[in-house]
Amino acid sequence: MAMTQDAAAALAAHRFGLGAPNLERIGSEPQAWLLAQVGPADAPWGVNLPTALDGLRLQYAFYRERRTVHKPALASDPKPAEQQFAEHFRATVDADVQSRLLGAVQSPRPFNERLMLFWANHFTVSMAKAQVRGLVGAFEREAIRPHVGGSFEAMLKAAVTHAAMLRYLDNSASAGPNSRLAQRRSRRIATDDLRTPRVTGLNENLAREVLELHTLGVQGGYTQADVTALAAVLTGWRVADPQRLDDQDVSASYFDPSWHEPGSKTVLGKRYAEGPQALDQVLHDLTLHPATAKFVANKLARHFVGDQPPQALVDRLAQSFQRSGGQLPALYQTLVTAPEAWAPQQTKLKTPEEFVISSARLLGLGETLLARTRDGGIAQMGQRVQAAPSPAGWPDSADEWLGPEAMWRRVEWASRLAGRLGSRVDARQLAGSSLGPLLSAASGQQIARAADGPQALTLLLMSPEFQRR
Amino acid sequence: MNITPSGLRRRLLLQALALAPALSFAGTAAGPTSNRLVLVILRGGMDGLGAAPVPGDPEFAGARGALAQVTEPLLSLAGPYALHPALAQLHAMYGRGEACVVHATGLPYRERSHFDAQQVLESGGTRPHELSTGWLARALGPAGLKSLALSTAVPLVLRGAAEVDTWAPSVLPEPGADLVARLMRLYVDDPALGTALARAHGLRERTDMSAMTATTGGAGFVLLARRAAEFLAQSQGPQAAVLELGGWDTHANQAAPNGALTQNLRTLDAGLAALREGLMQAPGQGAWARTVVVVASEFGREVQINGTLGTDHGSGGVAFVLGGAVKGGRVLGDWPGLAKAQRFEGRDLRITTDLRAVLKGVLADHLQIASARLEAEVFPDSAAVKPLALLRG
Repeated sequence: MAMTQDAAAALAAHRFGLGAPNLERIGSEPQAWLLAQVGPADAPWGVNLPTALDGLRLQYAFYRERRTVHKPALASDPKPAEQQFAEHFRATVDADVQSRLLGAVQSPRPFNERLMLFWANHFTVSMAKAQVRGLVGAFEREAIRPHVGGSFEAMLKAAVTHAAMLRYLDNSASAGPNSRLAQRRSRRIATDDLRTPRVTGLNENLAREVLELHTLGVQGGYTQADVTALAAVLTGWRVADPQRLDDQDVSASYFDPSWHEPGSKTVLGKRYAEGPQALDQVLHDLTLHPATAKFVANKLARHFVGDQPPQALVDRLAQSFQRSGGQLPALYQTLVTAPEAWAPQQTKLKTPEEFVISSARLLGLGETLLARTRDGGIAQMGQRVQAAPSPAGWPDSADEWLGPEAMWRRVEWASRLAGRLGSRVDARQLAGSSLGPLLSAASGQQIARAADGPQALTLLLMSPEFQRR
Repeated sequence: MNITPSGLRRRLLLQALALAPALSFAGTAAGPTSNRLVLVILRGGMDGLGAAPVPGDPEFAGARGALAQVTEPLLSLAGPYALHPALAQLHAMYGRGEACVVHATGLPYRERSHFDAQQVLESGGTRPHELSTGWLARALGPAGLKSLALSTAVPLVLRGAAEVDTWAPSVLPEPGADLVARLMRLYVDDPALGTALARAHGLRERTDMSAMTATTGGAGFVLLARRAAEFLAQSQGPQAAVLELGGWDTHANQAAPNGALTQNLRTLDAGLAALREGLMQAPGQGAWARTVVVVASEFGREVQINGTLGTDHGSGGVAFVLGGAVKGGRVLGDWPGLAKAQRFEGRDLRITTDLRAVLKGVLADHLQIASARLEAEVFPDSAAVKPLALLRG
């Protein structure tokens, strides 16, 4: 079936982008429009956004204050502490969430922004873990955004060694069992109480997820011994200690040789010499491993094309990943020029975050999106921005998001928004200009027959053509 | 087009029925079983030796190091076993003969990925992604039994042929019937969206939603447990409910007095107590006497304390089976020992009881699922796994 130019433009806007009120700016070459966007992400939305160092300073200030001022109340009642913690971080966390959402709502390069969201989810760090609060936005800005149009290896290295990731997956507290630090500590153990972490050895959390979730995938052919060895390679990569935060040359994360496990390590059959360079070498080799190419290819195709992406497309994506050594623009080129990616059937269901962002773009909402809620209401639909439930990130298939309750929340959200805006918007006109040929005659008719403006807008937002992409 | 309100409602009903043939909980004339099953999935890998320590094992104190020291005394069970002090109400149920502990239990899957292990736990297969539907859905569906997930999305364990509703508290205003009717027309060609909407709407019409408020974290779980009890206690209510509680991935500092493990165990304990209380009090009383609750996690954690006062992913762990229908006061399973040579791959608690033996026992004796079906469809290739006898009488 030959696709009209309008249909291609509509798919470019909705499947690859974040939605648009009309398709005019896409022009006559939708593929070229998409590929021209690829590069480092836009400058983040907002000013004075916190760096990872700022986030760390804020955390330590909180702990210091808690120790000195609130200690008696805390031991017996954990709730006030959580509240204080939340309040202490609210401004920072809100600024990060606001920057992420409004940046996506207003971006002139929506495809590149979608890629940013994709990679931030691939390398999930989450403020569901308290020690990561205040660092997630910095992680996206420092580890993900600069590399969206660059190399996978550079993004991998930036993500794995970022303070937020080292905290989130516990590497900051993982020490080589034979490191100088562990030896020193084991001599004076069993004196302090349980609340002070006494680090004596490895924590495998980050090593396992690097292999399972970031590179090879769970089918990638690694063993428990590889996980343990990679954990040893990762020892020493730490988050700056509180007393060093005001030093001139401090960085949020660094390599501390006194925590590093001495001796060489063998990961996937290859030996790596002791020292910080071993991590670069392992991540380089993991990038070139065929399992990584397959894993990333499958994930990218699943995200943009379908919950069960065509194998031929996955294979071609894996080839271009491997042939280019993980150069991401080559991968995107293969994706965007693949005929399979332009099938007219919309099968992917938007996540709540994509639904809210695309609704805001459709209606030109800008900052008013966040006038009433800190996240535009996304959490009410089952997704907490920058707070994914696990290191695997948010799920990427329709059945994960299609529970009756989740569906109901979307209807509630849409009708509330439409209640505010629907009388000022011509939903019939907007349906046509935004969705173009994707809008079915039946849906157009239902929208046209709505009882009033708000109802028409609700129906547009909840139409299969807008819920899916 | 001119549609009267009543005509509209009738249309909605017809469409809803077409899309979701069993929108209501009304049972067949013969009536399905009045027994109730609750599955509580603990996501993240609960530390079995933290929840149910084994101080009587000579290796326990040495292997667990700082994790073996707790500020409050352990709650003793039969033999070498004990419960974490945060599980006081579960311990009371054990004392009343209403709760069993199954130790050194786990899945046929022995790798240590959360995501694969949860897939196996919920799909009932032996390998990850070998099956794409849930074992509970396959057990309930053909038997005509209904289920409820206390969450916004349907967990894998309930995905498949069975009738499933979901429920979670909402703070948003309720869309009207007219809008729902129009949306149903919009979804004529998208049955996935239509079914989801019809079910959500159907469930709301049967429940008083006025008392609902959104909550998060621990309080949320207890609230969901209480709501589960209310739904299950209805005479036409679902036969099975699934609750989930996350946050068990305790890689660091897990023994802290208000640390994640202790808090989570407290929440679990309060939720289980809320279930019991709700099912005891409910009209049509005695629902608790007809209830079995299974609490399970995707895997246990390494025996040895790790380098950051936590535990890394392991295999064998612990499951709890409780309820008025359970012959409790027992710790089940062969104890494999904690010495290095007795561990799986020298690191994990060795699995001596296949978790499927627990689940098959409950499905067979409590929901009367035929053993041929259990072995062929519900847990394929599990003929060698003999169901465990867990119930009274």
